[in-house]
Amino acid sequence: MTAIAVIPPKSRLPWGWILLAAALALVALGFLTGVLPAEKWQPFLLPTSWRAFGLGLLSTFFIGSVALVSSMIVSLPLALGRLSLANPWRTVVTLWIEGVRATPVLVILFVVFFGLRRLGVDFRVVQIYAIIGLTIYTSAVLAEIIRAGVASIPRGEVEAGRSLGLNYWQTMRHVVLPQAYTRMTPAIVSQLITLIKDTSLAFIIATPEVVRVGRSFFNFYGNPVETYLVLLLIFFAINYPLSRLSRRLEAKQPREERVRVGGEVDQVPAEER
Amino acid sequence: MFEPVWRNFDLLLSGYLTTILLFVAAFIVALPIGVVMAAMRTWGVGPMRSIATAYVEFFRNTPLLVQLFFYATFLAQLRVTRNPVQAAIIGLAIYTGAFVTEVVRSGLLSVDVRQMESARSLGLTQVQALRHVVLPQAIRTVIPPLGNVAIALVKNTAIASAIAAPELLQQGGVIESRTFRLDPFLAVIIGYLSLTITLSIIVARLEKRLAFER
Repeated sequence: MTAIAVIPPKSRLPWGWILLAAALALVALGFLTGVLPAEKWQPFLLPTSWRAFGLGLLSTFFIGSVALVSSMIVSLPLALGRLSLANPWRTVVTLWIEGVRATPVLVILFVVFFGLRRLGVDFRVVQIYAIIGLTIYTSAVLAEIIRAGVASIPRGEVEAGRSLGLNYWQTMRHVVLPQAYTRMTPAIVSQLITLIKDTSLAFIIATPEVVRVGRSFFNFYGNPVETYLVLLLIFFAINYPLSRLSRRLEAKQPREERVRVGGEVDQVPAEER
Repeated sequence: MFEPVWRNFDLLLSGYLTTILLFVAAFIVALPIGVVMAAMRTWGVGPMRSIATAYVEFFRNTPLLVQLFFYATFLAQLRVTRNPVQAAIIGLAIYTGAFVTEVVRSGLLSVDVRQMESARSLGLTQVQALRHVVLPQAIRTVIPPLGNVAIALVKNTAIASAIAAPELLQQGGVIESRTFRLDPFLAVIIGYLSLTITLSIIVARLEKRLAFER
């Protein structure tokens, strides 16, 4: 596709690398001149700090991966319920999906955390509260992605399946869903990025994860600004490759096969980026 | 039933209004950021493109929670502000601006290059062509995804409670800790739903009005 106006020819200089080098040079200058206080950065070099952040990240990954798997499992009946059930159940499922999608994740985490505790549920593995909350939210979003994926499959596929003698569920299971999931992969990876970002919210309901580690780290060394910067860089290092992956997967798909759902999902066609 | 909610209604209402303030202020700031960055990413020369790309990639791929913590502590350290509402507005605007950038860019790219070429060959200047031919068309493609970004922003204002901005969720939590009851959270959910659902209705209306044959 072409863009409006005359696009200036792609600049020959590798500006991305030049900017990165300039930024690094500025940081080095900052240390040499003492504008950046070296003693606030030194704690990050200690092996014990690496260990602490590593353990925090492990917990973050634990929350993220379990929540992803359980969301994938829960989202399928939600999506199929919205697509195939008769009323009034279809309305119930639809209201649940839309209601959850319209509520802030943090509010869901609060309700799960305080609600379960009020009911007397006390998990030994404290990450479970966050996992349940994130699963409730992410499964609703994934259900919507599945719905869009199934809707993108041409009617002819369903008709062909049915006329071969498969029943509705068999057609779904063997014909529609496998194709839909292939098309949905970039959208699911995008949602994974959102999920990884949202694991940081578990910090607020007292879950030990990487942000919590950072908090106790700077309480000890007195360098909150530096610690938050390091945390941002850690999350960026995890998510940036994922966003590249999502984009690359999407670029491979023909335009009409792309599955998009509202929210914080990318909106720009892949080849333009 | 709901006694804690009625007894603390003024608190919840002030939180609700703060949430609306956070949303409106952050969105108003995020829009120009997004437009400028989108223009830089589309037509920028030299390092402008890379700067805009770095902005979008960095802020989209890091958690808003950590960004808000960073602004709150950094702005306090610089003695700029200790007001959590101001820090939250700045943080939300910069974060949302990255999403607005991508939306605006997709709108600009959705207008066929021939539209600009024909406008120019009819004697319009570049700016006139943008103003009268390209932008009116781009806005139509931009409105629905921009609505989604706005709805996401309403939900993200809840994270401002983490830096103690007195918004809806924060006030709900205050009432919860006083009364040990869960009904304030129900009121909080209704509050957020009222905003997100209203917004999605408005967006659907606009989308219908702006719809056109392609």
